[in-house]
Amino acid sequence: MAPDALQGIVRQQTNAARWNGAGWREFVADLRSAGVTLAEGTAATGIYATDAGGTAYSLPHGVLVARNAAQVATLLKVAQAHRVPVTVRGGGLTTEGESVAYGGVLLDMTGMSRVLAIDADAMTVRTEAGIYWHGLAEELRRSGLDYLSAPLNMTSSVGGTLGVGGIDVNSARLGCSADQALALQVVTPTGEIVECSDSENVELFQRVILGYGQFGVITEATLKIRPYTPLSMHYYYYSTLREAIEDLQLLDANDASDYSGILTIMDCAVNLLVAFDSAEREAAFKAHWERRLRGHGEFGFALCMAGHYALRPWKLGEALYLFKRKQAVFPEFRRPEFHRDGRMEDRTVVFSRAVWKHWGSRNMVIPDLATSTDKFIEAVERGNAVCRKFFPHYTLYCVGIRLRPEHKAHYEMSCVPPDAEGWAYGCEFEPMIEDAVYSRDHFQSFKNAIYDIGVDLGASYYRFGGMMKGYIRRVFGDALVDKHLAMKRQADPAMILNRDVIF
Amino acid sequence: MYSDAHPRDFPACSGCSLCRLVCPMWRARRDPRFSPEGIAKARQSGAALAELAPALEACTLCGACDPVCPENIDLSGMIMDLRRELPPHPELVALQIGYQQAAEGTEPAPAGALLLPGAALRADPALLDKVQSLLGLRRAPDDGADLAVALEIGGEIAPQRLRRFLDGLEGRSLVVGDGLLLRQLRSWLPAGRLQGLGEALGNLSTIRRRIASADFYVVEARAFHADHERLVAHYDTLRKDCGCAMNLDLQRIAMPPHASGYPGLRMGPAREDLEQSRWLLQGRTPARILVENPAERALLRRVIDVPVLHLAELA
Repeated sequence: MAPDALQGIVRQQTNAARWNGAGWREFVADLRSAGVTLAEGTAATGIYATDAGGTAYSLPHGVLVARNAAQVATLLKVAQAHRVPVTVRGGGLTTEGESVAYGGVLLDMTGMSRVLAIDADAMTVRTEAGIYWHGLAEELRRSGLDYLSAPLNMTSSVGGTLGVGGIDVNSARLGCSADQALALQVVTPTGEIVECSDSENVELFQRVILGYGQFGVITEATLKIRPYTPLSMHYYYYSTLREAIEDLQLLDANDASDYSGILTIMDCAVNLLVAFDSAEREAAFKAHWERRLRGHGEFGFALCMAGHYALRPWKLGEALYLFKRKQAVFPEFRRPEFHRDGRMEDRTVVFSRAVWKHWGSRNMVIPDLATSTDKFIEAVERGNAVCRKFFPHYTLYCVGIRLRPEHKAHYEMSCVPPDAEGWAYGCEFEPMIEDAVYSRDHFQSFKNAIYDIGVDLGASYYRFGGMMKGYIRRVFGDALVDKHLAMKRQADPAMILNRDVIF
Repeated sequence: MYSDAHPRDFPACSGCSLCRLVCPMWRARRDPRFSPEGIAKARQSGAALAELAPALEACTLCGACDPVCPENIDLSGMIMDLRRELPPHPELVALQIGYQQAAEGTEPAPAGALLLPGAALRADPALLDKVQSLLGLRRAPDDGADLAVALEIGGEIAPQRLRRFLDGLEGRSLVVGDGLLLRQLRSWLPAGRLQGLGEALGNLSTIRRRIASADFYVVEARAFHADHERLVAHYDTLRKDCGCAMNLDLQRIAMPPHASGYPGLRMGPAREDLEQSRWLLQGRTPARILVENPAERALLRRVIDVPVLHLAELA
């Protein structure tokens, strides 16, 4: 057990039990009579054997690739009647088995992935919710437009992201992706098709946004958009996490950049990235803020590192790893075909390619901590100590999230920590698996050690569902969890929708 | 990504879905079974060949999935291998045999650099003459058209036929009209200096200076993806020089105009092909469309009312 972890918390896997398939044939027949046919062969179900995490494995009994809201509604009505679990999947980028079906129906939303209308005057887009953010970007770019903020992963889906949050390197300025949604079409667990927003069916909107799929299936979304601009990117390198985080928070608090975030190679090379949509913003940053940053340019940092390791020859292995990693990863961020006149044309393509190529693996274990501004440095430093203990190599990704005070109700029992005001900060702790083979118990122990820090600090998590749902009551407390459980029971009497993700 | 020690085949697929984003077969159907990822994951789960057949038949072999796969899996190679196990299409096998018989009586290839035009270019003799004249190349009497069909349909390639075709081509400069054959020639002729037709013509100043900023340039997907790392720089330069829009997506992957299997071998376009071609042109108002693959002219002419020209027709 890690010395900085809480004592006395039982460590155990929290895999969901597989649904036993009772009444499956009758359910399939009723569904077919209602005009909906499931695919049941291995070619259909095998695709969904696991999620991006690759530690939870199970097959659904049958699959439905969603085509329209009416079909989803029929599925949920019949599933309620037969008490058949329905697991919804978008990009499948969960890491704790949240989009793995432990039996029952796997509802694949990527079949609903068309852009329905772009309103360039109102700066909104209406889209089917199974669309990948990258697919949305492809369509918007034809009109010189772009989404506001989305995960730096091309295969995240809009619906899945709105259900959990979604962070981008501009979230410190524009908020999380879920806060960009203006209105949603939702199919409730009992099969009603409902439009909701901040002014219509408000309670449903509050529960579905950041609701981890417990209160409905998002089938369409109206999102804010903006004119497309390429961005100019700057990198500053630090040798301590604390200084980099302090500088990140300085920039965020003063609205000094359009994009900001921290990406590290362990805690040795800490990279603060800062970027701008316009030359004016960039000039203002250079005039007022750049000199206050304590990070170095690439050359200066290389000199610092050379001096550091020259005095510590026993750390030669670490130095070599840093060098090799730099040689492999840095060119990915500078590929000429994705840049014009020194500006990056599509940040998501650049980052997502690098993430999958250099961070992706059969297993992706990414525990995280989300805290208020003032607790963030402690959370990251303690989490970093845990990473060092469990894995030889890892990376940290930190970013701020601007909160919308009027959306406080959306944030209840979500990744946004309850004590956060103005900004929340998130850090992902991602071990580099590389060629090593680790047991699931090792991964689980690592995740527990990180999550225990969250319990201790009163933080929250982005990934608190699925196999980590044992932490929900510890973090949010019984009163709040029971309140949401009561709402869930009312909305989903047979408790079929995304079973075992939260409830 | 996995260690390079792992085989670069379907077991290495981690299900990232990046191949779906660029797959015309998936885009037309929005069903994960119709994607390289879907095929790889289904094979990991032990799916039978018969279950995979509809997707294997629907693949255009455009190769867009290959350069985006973070695990470096040869996805289009996987699909081509599986196609060999499917029941043959008699009419396509007959096409292969017809081309093979035509190649049997040909003279040995002349000395020097050669043009291997391929069936699509040979189908337009006037255009072929123009291409030959522009490139200043002699034409290979045996251009391997039957081998290109065999690669496409999963047909058998007899070793003696392959030896006869490759005999004397090793180490030569070749301009290859068929993108799929070009892809395969890169492994058959590792010492060969190989270029696709589009790249060769695009390097000619007489062509290049006639490409206008109002043109929409359709890169031939198979040749492009078979050598993506190098060609992405070539087309980036061309785009900067000419200012024209291209059928490259945000990942710099070429979107082909076809979205259903055996393009060029079927009679007429399928519904999916027309939808895919419309998507290519959505939000664009080009003055002309320029294609590298002559077989794509007819399809694009069905979805837009502007001149659709082969590159060689610019000179």
